[in-house]
Amino acid sequence: MNAVAQSLTPLARLAGAQTGLPGGHRWDERRRGALERLIALGLPTPRDEAWKYTNLRLLERRELAPAPPRPLPASALDALPPRHGPTLVFVDGRFHPALSSTALPAGVDFTPLATALATELPPALEARVGAGDSVDERIRLLNAALLGDGGLLTVAAGRAPEQPLHLVHVATGGGAYPRLVISIEAGAAARLVEYHLTLGDSDSVAVPVTDLSLGAGARLEHYSVGLGGARAIQLEDVTVRLEREADYHHLHIGLGAQLARLDLRVRLEGHGASTHLAGLFIADRARQLDIRTRVDHLAAHTSSDQVYRGVANDRGRGSYDGMVIVHPGAIKADSRQSSRNLLLGPQASIDSRPQLEIKADDVKCSHGATTGALDEQMLFYLLSRGLDRDTARALLTFAFAGDVIAKLKVPELRPFVEDRVLGSLPTAQLIREFIR
Amino acid sequence: MSSIAKGDLILEIADLAVEVQGRLILDGVSLAVRAGEVHAIMGPNGAGKSTLSQLLAGRSGYEVKRGTVRFLGEDLLALPAEERARRGLFLGFQYPVEIPGVNNVYLLKAALNAQRRQHHLPEVDAFDFLGLVRDKMRLMQIDESFLGRGVNEGFSGGEKKRNEILQMMVLEPTLAILDETDSGLDIDALKVVANGVNSLRRDDRAVVLVTHYQRLLDHIVPDRVHVLAGGRILKSGDRNLALELERRGYDWVRHEASAA
Repeated sequence: MNAVAQSLTPLARLAGAQTGLPGGHRWDERRRGALERLIALGLPTPRDEAWKYTNLRLLERRELAPAPPRPLPASALDALPPRHGPTLVFVDGRFHPALSSTALPAGVDFTPLATALATELPPALEARVGAGDSVDERIRLLNAALLGDGGLLTVAAGRAPEQPLHLVHVATGGGAYPRLVISIEAGAAARLVEYHLTLGDSDSVAVPVTDLSLGAGARLEHYSVGLGGARAIQLEDVTVRLEREADYHHLHIGLGAQLARLDLRVRLEGHGASTHLAGLFIADRARQLDIRTRVDHLAAHTSSDQVYRGVANDRGRGSYDGMVIVHPGAIKADSRQSSRNLLLGPQASIDSRPQLEIKADDVKCSHGATTGALDEQMLFYLLSRGLDRDTARALLTFAFAGDVIAKLKVPELRPFVEDRVLGSLPTAQLIREFIR
Repeated sequence: MSSIAKGDLILEIADLAVEVQGRLILDGVSLAVRAGEVHAIMGPNGAGKSTLSQLLAGRSGYEVKRGTVRFLGEDLLALPAEERARRGLFLGFQYPVEIPGVNNVYLLKAALNAQRRQHHLPEVDAFDFLGLVRDKMRLMQIDESFLGRGVNEGFSGGEKKRNEILQMMVLEPTLAILDETDSGLDIDALKVVANGVNSLRRDDRAVVLVTHYQRLLDHIVPDRVHVLAGGRILKSGDRNLALELERRGYDWVRHEASAA
């Protein structure tokens, strides 16, 4: 069997999994079309520029068909911190009403996608739900080929719900293809906290695709915490469009999974729109955690800043691949990218590639990237005060992660993440007392 | 913590030669520091003063070509840096590093407790520790807000040096080596730092001041003054030697040494 045939096999099998998905004939056609295009293109390989750092060979031996509905143990969400605010739960990509909050705050509207697909959607919304069939976005094609559930979430114009909204994704084994279409309308402000979990160490392949839009002057703080198990694969794709003066924050914490990749695209379409992207991943054991961002400055006075921190230990690998494009006419654009990475072991590796393309005049752009071991001067300073080597190393590692953790503005989230970060560091018990 | 009496040998360096990246920086340094004494090591830039300080504190990257260093009778060079600190050796850094994300007060407490464990003493809890550190902060004129900040994070040059002395006061080392602690200080800050050092002077401890200028010695009067140049101690004397260096510079010592 040659390499091409091998990579097609799991995809070809998916045709059988397309029957019985919600939405009727019209959506069946679209799903078939997406799968055909994907089969023609094949799954990405490291030879594709955009997939240089992410090796999808693992996918070849995995079941990609959507997981069958299974009962979920009541303990499934126990790993999560207390949630102050409504929670919407998706199990293997399907909305799970029994575990979800029934009451949503005024101005917040949610429709499960399976329900919405059966109805006539407004053309603009339908275009967003169906989006993702373009040529180079094969992960979106994979999601489009199995599109069946997820949800439409809207925060109405001018509304600012006090509590954050929580989206919990649980993968139980097999494929999960949730599609979320989220609209934060003009002048609205919201906080969104997403968790990605797996049930135990089940073999799961989750391909969540999210389409976000922020109206004029809207603001969204979007937190995403990856807690997948040792055999979880997650390929997440998030696209955000911002109108005039809108402000989008995305903070990604990657602490789990065997292979997890985030593709985050932000389009600053309106004058004065701004975005703040940050992330922390800890690639311990044999995890591979990749972050790819693309920010398009399409209007004047737009600003973006990115702060990404990666830690790799054991045989862990990671990458940050960030592209900022300042398009013609985006004068006074302001863009900053900072990628710093810490390698704790000789076999760990992290690739970092911040990139910048400027096609406008009068802009302010900067980027920087470093990858290396713990700072020797800092280490010596702590040792010279009598701290043992393990404690000193753990302290410096935790401190390295600190500037991203400090950006967690949801009160219950921060101790939870701190605790998980400590849990993934060697000798963490030695430093718990230092951070409280 | 110990039964050191005035006049006991604390530090004994014999014929120490050290290379850094293939360059001989120290070439036969000998020095004996006894309990109750304050020594000043002076010398021009590039004389090897900082190399000596950092080597004594246990920094890696130095190759000892010959000679020995004994601290309280033990082979100092065989001990890792953290072990030296716990046994009572303290280095006040010339350029204290900023460590954002590692809290000042917790570092201090961990340092003190590491030393107390070494001496089989009970650890100090957070509450008692704060009481202890607040008194010393007042003496060093360090603001309360310091407690919540990262180690040296955003400190001015003078604040960093005062923080070094504060750490020294908390740890009460048997041997304090202060590397250019006076550099970058204005006269008021210099007095504060000198007060801190003087408050530590006791019959069972010793201090080694490494400095380029005489002015610190107006405030901390040394028992012995040594001139380190070209990797050796060329001349030793009492505090009058420091005054003479201030007046005449370092060249005459070098000429005298090469004539001898």
